[in-house]
Amino acid sequence: MTTTEGRRELTVGMGAGGLATADMVLNIGPQHPATHGVLRLRIVVDGERIVSAEPIVGYMHRGAEKLFEVRDYRQIIVLANRHDWLSAFSSELGVVLGVERMLGMEVPERAVWARTLLAELNRVLNHLMFLGSYPLELGAITPIFYAFREREELQAVMEEASGGRMHYMFNRVGGLKEDLPAGWLDRVAYAVQAVRGRLPDLEALIVGNEILEARTRGVGIVTPETIAAYGVSGPIARAAGVDMDLRRDEPYLAYGELFADSGPGRVVTRTAGDCLARLEVLLEQVHVSLDLAEACLDRLRTLPQGPVNVKLPKVLKVPEGDLYTATENPLGFNGYYLVSRGEKTPWRLKLRSASFNNVAVLAEVLPGNLIADMVAILGSMFFVVGDVDK
Amino acid sequence: MTTTQPTQPTQPTQPTQPTQPAPGSTSRPTPLPMPRVGPATDLAPQPIRVVLNWGRRYSLWVFNFGLACCAIEFIAASMARHDFIRLGVIPFAPGPRQADLMVVSGTVTDKMAPAVRRLYDQMPEPKYVISFGACSNSGGPYWDSYSVTKGVDTIIPVDVYVPGCPPRPESLLQGILKLQEKIAAETLTTKGIRAKYAGHRIASAAEVNRPLVPPPTKAAP
Amino acid sequence: MNDAVEVTLRAVGVLAAFLVLPLLVGQTEHKVMAHMQGRLGPMYAGGFHGWAQLVADGVKFVQKEDITPAAADQRVFRFAPAVALVPYLVAMAAIPLSPDVVAADLPASAVFVLAVTAVGILGTLMAGWASANKYSLLGAMRAAAQLLSYELPMVLAVASICLAAGSLSLSGIVAAWSPWWLVLQLPGAIVFLVSAVAELQRPPFDMPVADSEIVFGAYTEYTGLRFAFFLLSEYAGIVVMSLLFAVLYLGGWHGLASDQLGWLWTLLKGFCIAVVVIWLRVAWPRLREDQLQRLAWLVLVPLALAQLALTGVWVVVAA
Repeated sequence: MTTTEGRRELTVGMGAGGLATADMVLNIGPQHPATHGVLRLRIVVDGERIVSAEPIVGYMHRGAEKLFEVRDYRQIIVLANRHDWLSAFSSELGVVLGVERMLGMEVPERAVWARTLLAELNRVLNHLMFLGSYPLELGAITPIFYAFREREELQAVMEEASGGRMHYMFNRVGGLKEDLPAGWLDRVAYAVQAVRGRLPDLEALIVGNEILEARTRGVGIVTPETIAAYGVSGPIARAAGVDMDLRRDEPYLAYGELFADSGPGRVVTRTAGDCLARLEVLLEQVHVSLDLAEACLDRLRTLPQGPVNVKLPKVLKVPEGDLYTATENPLGFNGYYLVSRGEKTPWRLKLRSASFNNVAVLAEVLPGNLIADMVAILGSMFFVVGDVDK
Repeated sequence: MTTTQPTQPTQPTQPTQPTQPAPGSTSRPTPLPMPRVGPATDLAPQPIRVVLNWGRRYSLWVFNFGLACCAIEFIAASMARHDFIRLGVIPFAPGPRQADLMVVSGTVTDKMAPAVRRLYDQMPEPKYVISFGACSNSGGPYWDSYSVTKGVDTIIPVDVYVPGCPPRPESLLQGILKLQEKIAAETLTTKGIRAKYAGHRIASAAEVNRPLVPPPTKAAP
Repeated sequence: MNDAVEVTLRAVGVLAAFLVLPLLVGQTEHKVMAHMQGRLGPMYAGGFHGWAQLVADGVKFVQKEDITPAAADQRVFRFAPAVALVPYLVAMAAIPLSPDVVAADLPASAVFVLAVTAVGILGTLMAGWASANKYSLLGAMRAAAQLLSYELPMVLAVASICLAAGSLSLSGIVAAWSPWWLVLQLPGAIVFLVSAVAELQRPPFDMPVADSEIVFGAYTEYTGLRFAFFLLSEYAGIVVMSLLFAVLYLGGWHGLASDQLGWLWTLLKGFCIAVVVIWLRVAWPRLREDQLQRLAWLVLVPLALAQLALTGVWVVVAA
C-alpha cells in the first residue's frame, strides 16, 4: 500500500506480512490474452509478486531457417516476410539487400527511394499496432480502434502498390516487383497527411493519461548494461538511452542521405528505460517515420521515370561466400547471415531477429514486480512471437 | 471463396489406445465426461428450435486463437472498418469457457497442437470452429516444415475454412455468414453432439502428436 | 387474500425490472461504446440496430453445456452465481422510483441497500475459491481486497447524506432533498460514484476481472447460464448503483410533473449515471490493485470524513 523507492508494497488482503505464504507457479500462456500470440511465461509468484520468470519459446517455431535452404532466392522472400508479420517489408528487404550485395548488383535509384518509402510506411504500420495494443493490455480498449483507423488508411496505399495488405512480396532481387502505379505518390501524400492530422486523437488518449502514467512510469526499468548483455535493440534500447540506429550508423538504402545533418531523419531516444519511455519512443518514431516518408515522396517526384528493377537470369545463383546483412527493423536489428556455395539455394541462411533478444530480457526484468506490472512490461517489450520463434 | 464442410469427428493421427504415460510425463490421458446441451434444448419443439438457432446464430462469442500473421487480420476484422460485432460476433470472450466460436488464425505448430486441442476441449458445447488462413487450413507456405501441423483439422473438427495468406477481413466476414447459415439449418441434440466424439472423449497430448517427418527436399530444378 | 396478490404483483414487478433494466444498460453499453470507437455495434440480431443482441445472448446461454471442473468444489461452485445475483435483486426492491413506485418501503432502506449489495461480493469469493483455478483465486483475492477499500468510503458518503436528510429511509432522503445538496454534497457524491464503480468491478477498477492479466478472474471457469448470471449481476449492479446515486444525490423524482412522472425522472437520472459508468470503461485504462488501495485510503476516506464533518456543521448551523 505504501510506495517506497522503486519497490511497491501490496499488503492489504494479499498475503499480509506476518502470514506464511507459499509460492505458486503460474503459467502465462501459451494462449493468454496478454501475450498476444503464443509466448509462454512460467512465473513463480508469491501472492501477486513475481519471484522468478522464465520465457518459454518455441510454440510458434515454424522452421523457417530450414525451409530457406530448400527455397530459391525468389521464394525465400515469401517466408522472410512472414516471421515478423508486422514488419513484412523490412524483413524481405534484408534478404534482397544481402543477395544484391553478394551479386554486386546495382539497384536503380528509383527503386532505392521507393523501398525506403515503403519501409518507413511499414514502420508506421508496425508502431501503430503496438500503440493500440499496449493500452489494451493496460485495460484501455479504445486506442486500438483509433490506431487501426490509421493502419487501414496506410494499408490501403500499400495494397495499391503491392497488392498485399500485410505480406507485400514487393521486393525482388535487384529492385521492386513493378513500378509504382500512376498517381500513387499523391495518394500516399494524402494518406500520410490524413494520418498525421488524426494522430493527435490517438495521442490524446495515451499521452498524459494519469492512470497510464501511473501504470508505466518507473515500471520495468531496463538498464543500458542489461541491454548490452542481452543484445536488446530497437525502440527498447533507445528508450534506455542506448543511442543506436542502423539507419544512421550503418546506412543502407537512402538512409545515408535522410539521416545526414540536414536531413529529416533523427534518432529518438529517452533515458528512463521504463515502460513509459518505450511507449514515448514508439510514438515519436511514428512522427519521424512520417517525416521520412514525406522526404522520400518529394525525392521520388523529382526522379525521372525509369526502371525499378534489374533483369535477372532465369536461374539465380549467388557466388560462393558468406555475408551478414543487418537492417533496422521497426522492432530492432534484423540480420540475415547468408552462406552460399554457389547454388541456387542458400547453404544456410541464419536469421537474427529482434524480438528474440528483446524477450530474453524478461527473465531479468520481471522478478520483483506484480502480476499487473508483468502485463505492462510484457506489452512494452514490443515483440512479435513469430519473430521470437522464427 | 469460402467453403463449409459438415463437422467431422476428430481423426486421431495415432490409434488411441490408452497409452501408458512415459515415466515422469505429466500429461496423462484424462477421460472427459460426454457433452450434453443445456436443459430443455433436447425437448424443444420445432418452433422453439427456430428461436434457439436464432440465438446461437447471432450470439457467437468468439475466442481468437491468434497464432500468427492471420491474427492481425482477425483483429482488423473486429475493428471499426470491418466490424464483425455487427453480425453478433462478440470478441470479448476472455477464455474458452465463455466462447462459442473459436477462430484458429495462424500456423499451428506441433508444439502448440496439444494446447489448441485442450482449449477446444474446454469450450462448452455447442461450439464452432473457423479455420482462418492457409496455415491453419493446410500448413500453407510452411507445408514442408518439420514443425508445422498440416492443418488444424487434423486435431479438431472445423466448420468453416477461410482461405488466404492472410485472408482479407472481408473473407472472415463471409466465413462468419456461412457459419451463421449453417447454424440456422442445424438441429441441436445431445445425441448429435455426442456423435462428433465417436464414443470417447479423452484429453491427451498423445492424441495430437504425430511421428517425425523427413527433412524437406530441395526444390525441383 | 389482497395482501397476497399485492405482494405477488410487487415481486413480479421487481423481477421484470430486474430482467429488463440490466439488458437496457447492456445494450446501451454495446451501442455507446461502439459509437465512441467509430463502430456501429450489433446491427443484425433482431433487425433494427441489433436491439435483440442481448436477448440472443440469453437464448444462447440457455443452450450451452454446463461444465463444472472436476477439481472444483462442486456445490460451492454451482451456488456462487446465485449468491452474486440475489443481493442486487433484493436491493432493487428497496429502491424507490417515486413515493408510490417502490416494492418495499423499508424504514432504514439506505442501510439495507448498502448491507445487501455488500453480500454480492461473497459470490465472487465463492466462485474464485471453488473453481480450483489459479487465475480465479487471484481474481477472488483481488475482489476481496477491493471490497475492503471501497466499502468504508461508500458508507461514510451515504452517512453524510443521511445526516443531512435526518432520515435513514431512501424515500425520506429524497423528500428532504434540496438543490443545494448538489453543491454541498458534491465531494460525497464523487466519493460514492468512485466507490460504486469499484464495487461493480468496472474499469478503471476492474482488476478482479482484468482479462489481460488474469483471464476473467473468479469467473474464468464458468460457462453457460451460470456465467450469464454473473454477467447479469454485473449489469444489475450498475442499475442498482446508478439508481441509488440518482436517489441519494440527484433528488430522485424531483422534476417537472413529479406527481405523475416521478418514476420516469428517477429512471432518467439513473440512466445518465449508467452512461457515465459506461463512459469510464471506454475512456480509461485500469489501475493496479495497490493504486486503488492508495486512492481509497489516502483520498476517498479523508474526503468522505471531511464531507461528513461539513454536513454535521451544516446541520447544526441550519437547525
